[in-house]
Amino acid sequence: MHSILAVDDSASMRQMVSFTLKSAGYAVTEAVDGQDAWEKAGGKHFDLVLTDQNMPLLDGIGLTRKLRGHPQFKNTPILILTTESSDQMKQAGRAAGATGWLVKPFDPAKLIEVIRKVIR
Amino acid sequence: MSDTSFDSASAGAGIDLSQFYSVFFEEAGENLARMEQLLLAIDVSAADDEELNAIFRCAHSIKGGAATFGFADVAELTHQMETLLDKLRRHELQPTAAMVDVLLQSGDALSSQLARHQGAGGEPIDTSELLGRIRAFVRGDAAAAAPAPASAPAPACPAPVAAETHDDVPVTLSGERILELVLGPLERAELADSVIELFKEIEGLGTIQAVDGGMAQDGLRRFKLTTGSSDSDLLDLFGFHVAREQVTLRPWSGERVSPGYGFHAGAPGSPIQEEDPGYGFFEAAPGAPGGERAAEAAPSAAHPAAAAEAPRASAAAKTEAKAGSAASLEAATIRVPVEKVDQLINLMGELVITQAMLAQNSRSIDPVLYQSLVSGLTALDRNTRDLQEAVMSIRMIPMQTVFSRFPRMLRDLASKLGKKVELVTQGEATELDKGLVEKITDPLTHLVRNSCDHGIESPAERCARGKPETGTITLAASHQGGSIVIEVRDDGKGLSREKLLRKARERGLHAPDSLSDGEVWNLIFEPGFSTAEVVTDVSGRGVGMDVVKKNIAALGGTVEIDSAEGHGMRVAVRLPLTLAIMDGMSVGVCEEVYILPLSSVVESFQVGENSVKTIGGSGRVVEVRDEYMPVIDLEEVFQVPRFDFEHVSNILVVIEAEGGRVAVLVDELLGQQQVVVKNLETNYRKVPGISAATWST
Repeated sequence: MHSILAVDDSASMRQMVSFTLKSAGYAVTEAVDGQDAWEKAGGKHFDLVLTDQNMPLLDGIGLTRKLRGHPQFKNTPILILTTESSDQMKQAGRAAGATGWLVKPFDPAKLIEVIRKVIR
Repeated sequence: MSDTSFDSASAGAGIDLSQFYSVFFEEAGENLARMEQLLLAIDVSAADDEELNAIFRCAHSIKGGAATFGFADVAELTHQMETLLDKLRRHELQPTAAMVDVLLQSGDALSSQLARHQGAGGEPIDTSELLGRIRAFVRGDAAAAAPAPASAPAPACPAPVAAETHDDVPVTLSGERILELVLGPLERAELADSVIELFKEIEGLGTIQAVDGGMAQDGLRRFKLTTGSSDSDLLDLFGFHVAREQVTLRPWSGERVSPGYGFHAGAPGSPIQEEDPGYGFFEAAPGAPGGERAAEAAPSAAHPAAAAEAPRASAAAKTEAKAGSAASLEAATIRVPVEKVDQLINLMGELVITQAMLAQNSRSIDPVLYQSLVSGLTALDRNTRDLQEAVMSIRMIPMQTVFSRFPRMLRDLASKLGKKVELVTQGEATELDKGLVEKITDPLTHLVRNSCDHGIESPAERCARGKPETGTITLAASHQGGSIVIEVRDDGKGLSREKLLRKARERGLHAPDSLSDGEVWNLIFEPGFSTAEVVTDVSGRGVGMDVVKKNIAALGGTVEIDSAEGHGMRVAVRLPLTLAIMDGMSVGVCEEVYILPLSSVVESFQVGENSVKTIGGSGRVVEVRDEYMPVIDLEEVFQVPRFDFEHVSNILVVIEAEGGRVAVLVDELLGQQQVVVKNLETNYRKVPGISAATWST
């Protein structure tokens, strides 16, 4: 079973994402912000990190940068969920080492569709 | 901006989004409350970056959820708020009080919108004026942002989410709507070009712009429309060229019309460099599935196929995953009907009685012979007490919940009255029974309003009196003995003795100069008594303080006033902690047993000879450590028949209540016990001197 680290400060989004992923057969670890995700990521293997961008303490881009700096997450796909679909945002994500982005709002089917592209 | 068109699609994905609604509503409510709190605290002249960020995040969070779960009107308003807040946090705009106002009002509108979606019903909330004002601020047009009605053409008021109309459509400054038009899947992509022609031919229809560069990988053509025409007009027009079911109109959701995700080419895990699917992978980024660009391109380009595949798989996995994930949905709070809690408390009461009975009956048991029984009963006693405390605490909620409504109210009020007022709250953590909290809110609101309206002077007047320009109203809650005291203090002009006396006489009340200050202050509780020289629409027209007092008295509470003319006043509301179960001290008078609330008992002692003195022929007092206090002889008060004339009451119990102390004369102290109190007035009738009855062995 593939495992996914889902990071979002909004409980409703987190639950929706988590439920969707679990329904599609993935194992999900939830984190409430970048800092929490960073702590939960330690020593564990994840096939994908799915993170919101705008969060307190540590945002999605900050988390991406941190994860990329760690050998364990050097090649892990990281997707940033964002309501800001501006190029600026995407470029910041790219610079931080993100694998891609997904614009919020998205529907569950779309989420699975995108994830299937990165987790094989 | 929201795209709610997936509402129906989500069902296809096998996931019912409505299961997350309640979490979303709760979360949105928390975010709104937090946003309001932050907005009220913000100092516009020196706004803190962190504060601005936090406010932004609140709006952002609500927007994200609202858009995802399909509450388009909420998403639209929060989107505009977010745009403004984003400019503020980036220092592209300077915050102003007017902006804070509009944001606060938007927060109110959001509350109403959310309440409506939660089934409160009612008309759709018209936010067009708010939206117009926010947009004006965003473009730096403070004049247009003034709260004038209909300053700019704005979108129609939000309609129910499921409706066909788009209520969250972005609008140009001239009032035209910006829409995304998707045509297809078309057999020949060129068919769409005839639609472009339409816009060239028909004057005033608006502008159309292809956003996919004329390419249609998936047979869908996408356009950005700017138009003043209605959806139905547009659909009719397009119908000449393209079948109705091939036309999708929705709010424009950003510069890039895309499926909503993308990969950065070459990024780790990125499947390919897919231009435009609304998501993206970065090339060479870790995890980007770049290596299989060609292989992945085919299925991903065929969106319908991929989308169709997902639901099937997810539906299959759903059943097994459901149980687990539902359990993992962490619930920080659970909501239960109050009746259930009350039932629990009632049962608790019965348990306390049973336990007390057991304890009493077991006194005659030989502790040596029945050691384990006695220790069991001791444990039962302790456990019952703990349980009772825990059960009672369910109904207790912090005063914070009451206090939290005042900053906003006071802010609005002060600006309406042209006054500067600061609110200080103390003792927010003090807990009060839920029932009391609900009932105390109105009287407190009235008192705070009074303080602001009649107490605090205008800034000019305050300056003239050498006071700080900004007045202070303090709300303080604290426990004092068995009661909770909530004080409303202000540093305003206080009550004027002369004015009150004059007013009282005008109204034909008996008001001799000999009245003590306290008695004069109490005059304002007389029905129809208002000291305001000008009746304002804020504090009503003289109905007020008497109602406040009556309401508080109905809760078993009292109101006390202190005032110093020119310096302010203090109104203290004293409420009993309505406990259905209380600790009592039972005292015996002749054959009868009375119970005093333990919390009001200060001390007890045996009276020495001649220490009780009779004054003025009838009253009796006792001196306790240089303090004289009235003596109340229970035998006399309740006319207890005494058969044993040899015996006289010789024990005094000093009790404190409502700020005064009295000594109660009794025969003997019988002990302390918990009693379940049943109100006599509700169950029987009012009996002077007795507040409640209990059952005892």
